[in-house]
Amino acid sequence: MSPPLYIALRFIRHRQRSILISLVGITLGVAFFICTQAQTQGFEQFYIRTVLGASGAVLVQDRFQTRYSGMLEHGTNGVVSVSGQKPRKYYDGVSDPDSVMRTIREFSSVIACSPVLEDNASIKSDFRDEVCRVLGIDLTAQLLATDLRAQMTDGDLSVFRNAPTGVLLGSILANKMGAKVGDLVSLMAAGGETRSFRVCGIVQTGDNLIDERRAYIHLREAQSLLGKPAAVSYIIVKMRDPGRAPQLAARLEELLQHRARSWQERARGNLQIFRAIRVSAAITVSAIILLAGFGIFNVLTLMIIDKVREIAILRSMGYQRGDISAIFLWQGMLVAAAGSVLGCGLGAFLTYTVSRVPMHIRGFFAADHFLVYWSGAHYFSAVVIAFTAVLVASYFPSRRAARLVPVSILRGAGQ
Amino acid sequence: MNLPLVCAGLERQLGENESRVRVLRGVSLEIPAGSVHAIVGPSGCGKSTLLYLLGLLDEPDGGQVWIGGRETSGLTDRELTDRRNELIGFVFQFHFLMHEFTAEENVMIPMRRQGRLGPGAMRARAGALLETVGLADKRARLSRHLSGGEQQRVAIARALANDPLIVLADEPTGNLDIANSERVFGLLTELVKREKKALVLATHNPLIAQASDWVHEMQDGAFTRTYSNLK
Repeated sequence: MSPPLYIALRFIRHRQRSILISLVGITLGVAFFICTQAQTQGFEQFYIRTVLGASGAVLVQDRFQTRYSGMLEHGTNGVVSVSGQKPRKYYDGVSDPDSVMRTIREFSSVIACSPVLEDNASIKSDFRDEVCRVLGIDLTAQLLATDLRAQMTDGDLSVFRNAPTGVLLGSILANKMGAKVGDLVSLMAAGGETRSFRVCGIVQTGDNLIDERRAYIHLREAQSLLGKPAAVSYIIVKMRDPGRAPQLAARLEELLQHRARSWQERARGNLQIFRAIRVSAAITVSAIILLAGFGIFNVLTLMIIDKVREIAILRSMGYQRGDISAIFLWQGMLVAAAGSVLGCGLGAFLTYTVSRVPMHIRGFFAADHFLVYWSGAHYFSAVVIAFTAVLVASYFPSRRAARLVPVSILRGAGQ
Repeated sequence: MNLPLVCAGLERQLGENESRVRVLRGVSLEIPAGSVHAIVGPSGCGKSTLLYLLGLLDEPDGGQVWIGGRETSGLTDRELTDRRNELIGFVFQFHFLMHEFTAEENVMIPMRRQGRLGPGAMRARAGALLETVGLADKRARLSRHLSGGEQQRVAIARALANDPLIVLADEPTGNLDIANSERVFGLLTELVKREKKALVLATHNPLIAQASDWVHEMQDGAFTRTYSNLK
């Protein structure tokens, strides 16, 4: 054991009460940081899972044509300038879905893709009329590309598969319509055609904006109802690593000349809200750690005032300035280390406890208990913040101690 | 032959601007091994300042200090600190023991910095030194639970911990009663002579001055008279 560490340990042992207050501060700060991050990211991850489960990592949508002629502009004096923007002309939907999907499937990062025809329609039950979004799906492909199977809360997918005029309703929409599995509902397309469908299942994604509007029917039936016999609105792409969706979307856009949107782009607004909440929680809770750091600053500063003679005698015995500094830095680091270990344990316990708290959330999304996300990054960040705060708090007193001139102290010590 | 401690023409001024005072005026000394030198004089005559310069705790404005035959001027703070650890032991009027440590641990503190001995060897040496100063039975006692005389004896053992060439003592008995003063001084001189070290001490005590080998009378920053008590 190094001499500064040996002396630091002994100083701490004889200053237990004042050190304990700082230790409690660091422990609570680290624990609260971990717990709040687990909660905020828990909701964020739930939202991301919902987005991916409902609409995939990438949506390949409208075809476009780049208008190259727009890039060249005649300036003054006959100078021709080239603009960085490439104006596009968009054409609704994907007109040749089979060909597009063949290309998409060639990417190794793609697990599955599924064509969807989506449009507005009116839905009518015995109780009321509502506006909904009709999604025509290829059930087999949809089950591979989304979490539709897991989202079923009532009914039977095999019944839907064998029922050409079957419909799956979003849970909130079904509730509003008073429709249950086995009931008949009517769908009226914008063109005016009305057809009856039997409810084969209720679907809940957790995203209320989806669950209050969606009605799934078979793709062929949708194409017939909506008067679009060959086209689809978009293709859902499921990826092995959804984190790389922006890169795939850019590549697909370039390759297919179809607009391709990653889930990060589609959910950007909500993701930014989640991030803002997470950062805000981190800043607020970090204040506890900073206060504890300030406590350590005070403890060490008072200790140095109390120990000037000991510092002088240590210097006279051959302890270097760095040794003196290390004695006080070690004390801070030991408090940070103990606080981090205790804080991580307490943080894990609090996170687990919070995750068991029943909570009925209905609104932006649906959940029945507090959502938490277990991540080593939360623990690492909390420990880094704790050590940084304590290091800064310990550095200035320790530097002051190292700069003390022993002969000045000895001269003033009653000689 | 290299003398353990030599200084020549030491000058030191303290204070700022108009209040600057010339504390030492060209002080020179030669201290052979196994000898005890007492510096006597009134308060403020420069005794402590001279000891701090000899102990490399302060830097002179002029003159040189040689320790173990090596000149010390121009050395960095790190080098001076290393020299103190290796070659010099200090005893102060107010012992300055560290209260969080036992008597034995206090004696081991300089050894830990030097890092030459393992834990067992350090403990054995500290025990031997405490036995020499008559505190073997109190080695495990926290220093704050020792009497003033005992604390000063621990400080002597600590000064000798790294087997220094020189022991510098600034009023080592100034805070002790007569019986303890005699005991502490007796111990210091006995150890210094037995181990062939050099002892320089500043004192107001005429009995201690008489018992020293050499006496240097000091006034206004300069030696006014030097004489030997050796017969």
